[in-house]
Amino acid sequence: MSKITLENVSYVYGEGTPFEMHALRDVSFSIRENAVTGLIGHTGSGKSTLVQLFNGLTRPMAGRVLLDGADIWEKPKQIKQIRFRVGLVMQYPEYQLFEETVRADIAFGPKNMGLPADEIEARVREAAELVGLDEALLDHSPFDLSGGEKRRVAIAGIIAMRPEVLVLDEPAAGLDPRGRDRILTQVREYQRRSGATVVIVSHSMEDMARFCDDIVVLARGELVMQGKTDEVFAHADRLAQVGLNIPEISRVCAMLRARGIPMDEGIFTVDAAARCLERLLGATDGEGASTR
Amino acid sequence: MSQPFIHTEHLSYSYEDGADAKQMPVLHDVSLDVARGEYIAIIGHNGSGKSTFAKLLNLVLEPTDGKILIDGQDITSPDMTDDDLLALRRKVGMVFQNPDNQLVATVVEEDIAFGPENLGVPSAEIRARVDEALAAVGMTEYARHEPHRLSGGQKQRVAIAGIIAMMPDCMIFDESTAMLDPLGRREVLEVMERLHRERGITVITITHHMDEAARADRIVVLDDGRVLRDGTPEQIFSEPELLMEIGLDVPQSAALVHRLRKAGLSLDGEVGTPEACVETICRAFAAREHNTLVNG
Amino acid sequence: MKGIALGQYYPSGSVLHRLDPRMKVIIAVLYIVTTFLAKNVTAFALLLVSMLLLIAVSRIPLRIVLSGIKPVLMIMLFTMVINLFFVGGERLLFEWKFIRIYVEGLYQAAFMAIRIVVLIVGTSMLLTYTTTPIMLTDALERLLAPLRVLHVPVHEFAMMMTIALRFIPTLMEETEKIMAAQKARGADFTSGSLVSRAKALIPILIPLFVSAFRRADDLATAMECRCYHGGKGRTRMTVLHFHLGDFVALTVFVALGAGLILANRYGFGFSM
Repeated sequence: MSKITLENVSYVYGEGTPFEMHALRDVSFSIRENAVTGLIGHTGSGKSTLVQLFNGLTRPMAGRVLLDGADIWEKPKQIKQIRFRVGLVMQYPEYQLFEETVRADIAFGPKNMGLPADEIEARVREAAELVGLDEALLDHSPFDLSGGEKRRVAIAGIIAMRPEVLVLDEPAAGLDPRGRDRILTQVREYQRRSGATVVIVSHSMEDMARFCDDIVVLARGELVMQGKTDEVFAHADRLAQVGLNIPEISRVCAMLRARGIPMDEGIFTVDAAARCLERLLGATDGEGASTR
Repeated sequence: MSQPFIHTEHLSYSYEDGADAKQMPVLHDVSLDVARGEYIAIIGHNGSGKSTFAKLLNLVLEPTDGKILIDGQDITSPDMTDDDLLALRRKVGMVFQNPDNQLVATVVEEDIAFGPENLGVPSAEIRARVDEALAAVGMTEYARHEPHRLSGGQKQRVAIAGIIAMMPDCMIFDESTAMLDPLGRREVLEVMERLHRERGITVITITHHMDEAARADRIVVLDDGRVLRDGTPEQIFSEPELLMEIGLDVPQSAALVHRLRKAGLSLDGEVGTPEACVETICRAFAAREHNTLVNG
Repeated sequence: MKGIALGQYYPSGSVLHRLDPRMKVIIAVLYIVTTFLAKNVTAFALLLVSMLLLIAVSRIPLRIVLSGIKPVLMIMLFTMVINLFFVGGERLLFEWKFIRIYVEGLYQAAFMAIRIVVLIVGTSMLLTYTTTPIMLTDALERLLAPLRVLHVPVHEFAMMMTIALRFIPTLMEETEKIMAAQKARGADFTSGSLVSRAKALIPILIPLFVSAFRRADDLATAMECRCYHGGKGRTRMTVLHFHLGDFVALTVFVALGAGLILANRYGFGFSM
């Protein structure tokens, strides 16, 4: 089932000025319900515009954005409701924190939804737990936390709205490897527990390969490819054409193949590569033993 | 061996926590030598003290204890004059993480001129240095542009040019690629490595990207303010468990070789770069074939 | 947002654009003084002609010049009305109940209007339309440099101005981002009472201030690393030189001033 569908969506910045730029050109694709979809493409590929279209922060200049089959702009006055259903975590979300306590900051979204106080409190706790924030931190000022913690507070602020779709723009940017893994694992976990649909934008092909079920590839405002993660990474040449990398491990496999080692196609995790090589190296041995 | 360009002795740094006046240790007893013209990467998780270490080297922060010698001069000595400090900062330039927050002027070339202007370099020479620095980072055509209209990678190259124009001996990149997209990262890496290769500038890069660290001559691993490991990428990446334990990781290619070794396969060879890993794996296949033939 | 232009600079590449910014500041001051010298019809006519010539030389489209006058239109009308109704005289032109309009008032109103227009258009032709804010800052720093002897922090003011100009676009972009982020959390900036709208700004202002302080801190460190230590011993890459054109321009404007004084004395028409 598709959760969000884009139909022939176009968006132009600064139309009619010397700075005119086509951010999106006639883009159509859909995002599968109950899955983690990765959105990849260079800066300027239209990704950032796209994420703001999902939750109605920007309105498409042509085409439609459908949520559960209904046009989100059907009643423009109620676009705010769409923003509660499609939660957007923007890039470097820690820069949006403003409340005196972590608790109050996470509660900002639910409060805007007009929820009763006890419901808000329950959601704040739940969201904090989901992103692995210690309860003791709830009464601290968000400005006293470490970078990674701040980021998790900001994500909790969106999760507390219990969105049906969670969109994260570069959730791991600037974090160290541990912080990065932690956030991505938690997002994956959140998806599993809540059954929400998740969309992640990232530049790291390694991360995308590890955490996403589906991949959507954009270049210069146009859709390049869409499919299951292994299908997309199997088209390394197509990705290279639009200037995107493939995970380092896929590159290593390609190099090995070029050296005559019969590696399987479509390997994009270390696990898969190791299994394949163990089999190949073991098999050479095995054959040697059996033929003689 | 000739005198190291950077020499630190039992370097420590701590700061006072405002709330309860407690001393918060950041760096502890770091003794390190960096040779002139070396290309070294410092890795460590957030809060490991790597940025602090960098900021001590040109006295943006002052050490609480220990000694730093730059080019033979003790910069921690009380005899340091203001002029000495300027000379130090000219020698050891620094490029920071956020490309927006280090550009001062509203025109690219004026920004690059900022350092030499502060140093009192004669006007005509500044002009020459700026043009040269612009060319060195490949930004000549953007000389009259406004920085805020540039991409992240371009801004960072302008920041590098601003340091180049001061003619440094050493450049420190304090997570200078952390906020960039892959394209921007590549641009900055290329410029950084070219400066090292062609001008013999000593490069110290602080990074979270293991694939970047893998390109350096040497990697220093900091953990909780101490030097945990100091060696070639080869040596460092052959201990993936250790790196994982302190919240880092290894490049995927090194992880692959390591996985295979753990599975009992004997793989001889290097793991520093993806190319080296491919070589190592191919060698294993060749050895198998050879064994099969010999045994057969 | 990337298309935002600071000030009114209009790059038409005219002769005025190429003048030394210091000279433009000097000439602008001269021109302002000149507008206050004019006393009779001939002098004001001369002033008007000089302004039209200035517009022609600047090669800035008339539509842009006119839009620059728009903000002061109200003030202009107001001064005109005041002059029209309250300046007394001998030659009564019109009388209705208590309203009396004299010929003198009519002239006076026209003079005032011309003076305001010439002031606005003249200075913007010389400065804002043809000189970037940064060149202007630079020119002021250099012209006011002698004041350093009196401990006026000329360099520091110029540096502040430069940094402000550099960071305004960055902070504007940042404001947009923060607004979008808070909107994504259901913040509403457009509806509700005045009080609730003002309150709605808090989630924007606090992050913006936090970010501005962080940037300031980063920038200070970066500047220190680039050997900044105030204006002492600092040289500049661009050395400004007065060229022949600058002196020609100066001569033209001095001549204009002289012409105006002559017009005041020997010209004709109503004199104020």
